[in-house]
Amino acid sequence: MPTITIFQDDLKSLLASDRSTDRGITIAQLEEWLMLAKGELKGHNLETGELRIELQDSNRPDLWCCEGIARQIRIKQQGRLKPYSFFDKKPKSPHHLIVKPGMEQVRPYVAACTAKGYRVSEKGLAQLIQTQEKLADIFGRKRKTVSIGIYQLRNITFPVTYELVKPDDVRFTPLGMETTMTLSEILMVHPKGLEYGPILAVKSLLPVLRDAKDQPLSFPPIINSREIGEVQVGDDELFVEVTGTDLPMVMLSLNIFAANLADRGATIEPVEVQYPTSTMLGKRVKTPQDFGKPKTIRTKAIEQALGQELGETVVKQALESYGYDVSAEKGSVKAKLPPYRHDLMHTMDVVEDVAMSRGYAEFTPVMPTQFTVGGLSAIEQLSDRSRDLMVGLGFQEIISNILGSPDHYSGFMRLHGTEWGRTVDVDNVMSLSFSCLRQWMLPSLLRIEASSSRAFYPHRLFEAGDVAIPDDAHELGSQTETVLGALIAHATTHFSEIHSSLDVLFYYLGKEYSLEPLQHPSFLEGRAGRILVSGKSVGVIGEVHPEVLERWQIAMPVAAFDVNLSKLAAN
Amino acid sequence: MDISAVIDSLHPLEIKVLTTLGARPSGTALDGEQLASVAELEPSQLSMAVEWLLAKSLITVQAETVTPIVSLTKVGEEYYQTTSPIERILAAAREATGNGTRLTIPDLQAQGGLDPSDVSKAIGRLKKEGVVLIIQGGCIETTGRPSPTAETLRTLLEEMHDSSKELKSFTETHRQVIEDYAVKRGNAKEPFRVDERVTRSFILSTDGVSAAEQLLKQGVAEEVSQLTPDLLKDGNWRQKRFRKYTISLRPPRIGTGKKHPYREFLDAVKAKLVSMGFREMRGALVETEFWDMDALFMPQFHPARDIHDVYFVKEPSHTTVLDEPFLSRVAKVHENGAETESTGWGYSFDVHRARRLVLRSQGTAVSARTLAASPNIPGKYFSIARCFRYDQVDATHATDFFQVEGIVLGEAINFRTLLGLLNLFAREVAQAKDVKFLPAYFPFTEPSVELHVRHPRLGWMELGGAGLFRPEVTLPLGVTVPVIAWGLGLDRMAMVALGIHDIRELFTDNLELIRTTRGLF
Repeated sequence: MPTITIFQDDLKSLLASDRSTDRGITIAQLEEWLMLAKGELKGHNLETGELRIELQDSNRPDLWCCEGIARQIRIKQQGRLKPYSFFDKKPKSPHHLIVKPGMEQVRPYVAACTAKGYRVSEKGLAQLIQTQEKLADIFGRKRKTVSIGIYQLRNITFPVTYELVKPDDVRFTPLGMETTMTLSEILMVHPKGLEYGPILAVKSLLPVLRDAKDQPLSFPPIINSREIGEVQVGDDELFVEVTGTDLPMVMLSLNIFAANLADRGATIEPVEVQYPTSTMLGKRVKTPQDFGKPKTIRTKAIEQALGQELGETVVKQALESYGYDVSAEKGSVKAKLPPYRHDLMHTMDVVEDVAMSRGYAEFTPVMPTQFTVGGLSAIEQLSDRSRDLMVGLGFQEIISNILGSPDHYSGFMRLHGTEWGRTVDVDNVMSLSFSCLRQWMLPSLLRIEASSSRAFYPHRLFEAGDVAIPDDAHELGSQTETVLGALIAHATTHFSEIHSSLDVLFYYLGKEYSLEPLQHPSFLEGRAGRILVSGKSVGVIGEVHPEVLERWQIAMPVAAFDVNLSKLAAN
Repeated sequence: MDISAVIDSLHPLEIKVLTTLGARPSGTALDGEQLASVAELEPSQLSMAVEWLLAKSLITVQAETVTPIVSLTKVGEEYYQTTSPIERILAAAREATGNGTRLTIPDLQAQGGLDPSDVSKAIGRLKKEGVVLIIQGGCIETTGRPSPTAETLRTLLEEMHDSSKELKSFTETHRQVIEDYAVKRGNAKEPFRVDERVTRSFILSTDGVSAAEQLLKQGVAEEVSQLTPDLLKDGNWRQKRFRKYTISLRPPRIGTGKKHPYREFLDAVKAKLVSMGFREMRGALVETEFWDMDALFMPQFHPARDIHDVYFVKEPSHTTVLDEPFLSRVAKVHENGAETESTGWGYSFDVHRARRLVLRSQGTAVSARTLAASPNIPGKYFSIARCFRYDQVDATHATDFFQVEGIVLGEAINFRTLLGLLNLFAREVAQAKDVKFLPAYFPFTEPSVELHVRHPRLGWMELGGAGLFRPEVTLPLGVTVPVIAWGLGLDRMAMVALGIHDIRELFTDNLELIRTTRGLF
């Protein structure tokens, strides 16, 4: 989840002043506060006061900025959220934004507001841009569902319209360019056009925001106009708009921006958005707007989940000092999230907020008392017993990656195109070295052998672990099975040496077996066998084919076996 | 020096050498070859015995002579079998002069198998000897004179074929040719090689003289190096002396049977979990997106489900069946929360996407399967599952790795028992008494906790994450009691215990490293 950069003095200026801020914020204090925001301090620069913070909660975009973190702490300091007046549904707005028909096919929703009286500072501008980027990139899925534009208000004449135009009918100078371009030119030439153009499926009609004088504000979600849409240090009248495909997400993003700007001292004036047809919030939607609903929660449910009796008063107090609007009733609380949050899906979400607000340290751990019987699965027991026996036989255990390359698992083994050579392959390959799952163990052992020619001989290696064997009849297309592989490598090793090890292993596992001659491309003909238990094949054994050794660049004879423990357990 | 103690520790080979030297008039020096033949030792046995005796200061090197030895190189053998460049060029020049055709240096170079440097060296030599002339137009013409170099070369090749000789056995002129045509630095392609043979001759030291005297006096017949079954059977060991060993020497290394240190660490964790009443769960390496993520209430648009985070299976790309009623229930919960009192994610669930096959990306998939398979209540489960992430591999990211995960189900489960369980893990797995619980985020738990512990050796570290499964996870799978989901991040602990700094070394292919890692936890 996002990692953001903020500055300590900026954070401090947004907090309520109390003893801890007056004394200067210590790192320990900061880390404790950050728990309220599920934030982790990743780095700090004592000289510049720069802080790098990772925010864990992907459902709390309001916390991905300095203002949001400060707000969560401030509410805790002050005991409750000081309400913002501009979220009310009621007051009429002097500013209108008209959505023209057709937008519902492309990018249906828009929300906007103005902010006056906050003079943008250098650090403030950097924060504004960072918030805009994190929201559009992560919450807005790379601008697909949400994108945000910020403008100089004084250049805009209301009403603003949001409409579709032909690609060559509108031209303006986009940010980052010197000359005017048509929308189709922007899509073809401008870096942002190339990056975000694919979001717009239909290219014959494109969205544009224009003011009453027909001046283009922007071509959402691609790029703003340079004349109106370039905010600079010193500007003190802003216009903010959010467009997107999901109304709650669009509304929430604007609410976050409005709260952030208000926290920095701006006066927010709402904008009335007029849709051609009704939305879930009506046809005329005042933005920003608190569109959340209160939820009634039984106190008992919260207490049960937390394992602690709290009572309505404590619950109310905990939630209020975390930003909720709460009224206590008998046996329950009616809780509503602040307007900049929209992440209440279940009572359990409220439960966590109660715990976080009080602090996890407030809850005394209780040892679970329930009695249960522990134990290992049958296959793990067989695998552990086999491993013990292999150690007794003088073999060194190894561990390998399961994800590997088809060259190692099949090609080097002379198995290409054979049934033995089939593997579960990855579709989205990043590197050929990690592009299929191993289907047997021998290549994992040869990988070690190939790079260990300088380790003194003899080498006796084994590994017990999972493999994936393609199986068309299985619902997952493959079977995960546990396999034991072993090899011996030294100048005079041969079939009967590895056979002796197999013989001892099977004796102590209590399995009667026989060997049946086998033609297998990885082994020398006449020196390879199928291991049969109750007439069923459970593995292979043999002297590794010299061509296989050559391909692995191993200059030492190798004898090996590969036993499928899952099959052995079943027989 | 205590001579009898020295004698007791002598190896039979050493005794042979000492007595051979001691039997000669005092002060006699013998070289290696002589010693070997008199003492009847193989050259390798002799060199061992000599080195040991030198180390014990029982013999000293009286003289060291360096003899240059000439032999043919591979190139020399080739010249012997066929011809040398100078012979070839001389023959070609004679033939051209004989039948009046033009022959230039480039012509010679154009003939196969001749190096430009060989050609120029040969021509230079022949010109100097007056055997050839370079006339107008760069043509080569023979004068009819013989070439001493070419002839000497041939004689030498035949003399040395299959045997080497001392350099000083050759005449001055021959030596000159050998040196001109010997392998030197920067000129490896020559027929002769001059090697230096070092011959040392040895005499007894003062201690050696005493030791040899005593040995000759007492006789050596009864000393043996090894107690044998025969000696035991006939009781003759009573008449033998056993050579004393130098036991302060390091023993030869042997290969042992041993578990892999990282596996041993995981075995210890496994044993701990079983001792705490956890039952092992197993799962498949290939999973459906449904069990890997949908069942865990991760919305299908969740960033962690991106093509850049999960490995997708190529063929077959989708499963044929997804178990009901789980599929329909999970789909509804994603869409609108269904009977879980949740709002759900509010999007339309894609069943095709749910059937997509992936390489298991989290151990929690195994827990989800267990929840759906009528688990014990109360119940405790764990798995040590291999998982796969679409990550660039580096010192801190592995593409496949173990996750230690599990669940605890029961009526009495709540946030405080969750903290109690984490306390238990801290104590049992990391031997830590001090713990910190930090709020955390996982898509499938609420509330969620991160467990930080003060490890006795490592200091404060994150040991794991846990939480109560969201009802949106448990209810559709048929579980109505609260469930703790927990995971332990043990790689860092293992890496420190194994003394490594790169996560890739957990799966190293370096056998020497695996063999020498102690793995103390």
